[in-house]
Amino acid sequence: MSKAAPTENPLADIDLIIHAPARLNILMMLYVVESLDYVFLKNQTGLSWGNLATHLGKLEEAGYVQINKGYQGKKPHSMIQLTSQGRSAFQEYKSTFQQLLDDLPE
Amino acid sequence: MTEKVSLKDLERGLFRDSIQDGILDIQIGLMLLMFVLPIYLSPKLGDFWSSAVFLPLWLLVIFAPRAYRKKVIWPRVGTMIYGNYRKKKMMRLNIIMLVFNMLALILGLFSFFNFSALSGWAPSAGFSMIMLIGFSTAGYMLDMPRLYLYAILIAAAPVIGEYLYRNFGASHHGFPITFGSLSAALVTTGLIILIRLLDKYPPQEKEELI
Repeated sequence: MSKAAPTENPLADIDLIIHAPARLNILMMLYVVESLDYVFLKNQTGLSWGNLATHLGKLEEAGYVQINKGYQGKKPHSMIQLTSQGRSAFQEYKSTFQQLLDDLPE
Repeated sequence: MTEKVSLKDLERGLFRDSIQDGILDIQIGLMLLMFVLPIYLSPKLGDFWSSAVFLPLWLLVIFAPRAYRKKVIWPRVGTMIYGNYRKKKMMRLNIIMLVFNMLALILGLFSFFNFSALSGWAPSAGFSMIMLIGFSTAGYMLDMPRLYLYAILIAAAPVIGEYLYRNFGASHHGFPITFGSLSAALVTTGLIILIRLLDKYPPQEKEELI
């Protein structure tokens, strides 16, 4: 008896780095601005410092965001921005996911 | 029921959160107060010394709230640099505001130094029109609906003042009453927004912890 071929997973094309709700939220915000600092992002997302740092670390590792470390007076002040790779990945995620949902039967 | 939020709405929301700190309200309120100040300074100090006092005060009104925003509000609320869409919009707004400020300044100087040439309701009506259009434009471009209300109130102030002057003998065309009370209302509104914001966003832990 032959085994049936596994059904193609429509979610296979989805970028899982972006797909996590917290990271998607971060990327959406970064998509519409030039850059944000940690405090603004923390207030807007409602994430804890630890969670925010973890998610940003994953996005930075993937090359989707760039963290520009700097100083404001004597205090450290970093600005976070989307890289061109991150912008393309987000656009691709958006169109892939939109296509996936559009293809669903009513 | 889920609310549908587009990226455009998200950008608008972020922008509004970055400017809704009450500082603009306080600044507008203090600027209105500056319309009243020369009326009292000039007779007491003379033109030279009243200008010498007035100009630093004007600079203080412009720069002190900004410094406060940078030192106190930004460390709590955070900062953002606008995207291209918002930058272009702000650039257009700055140009429009510059034109309206120049018009208001010209009208103000003309009225102050040569009031007899512009008599009756003309200066008040002209000033009202400039304020109405200027503040409404700012309200539209900054996505701040309460600026429409300010536009109406500020536009009405000189006309009401003129009415009080003509019918009840209010001094200085009623400016001290109308602009003074409007200034107090706007500064109070700004302070309420600011206090609520400071309450909502306590001082943050240091960024070096992450």
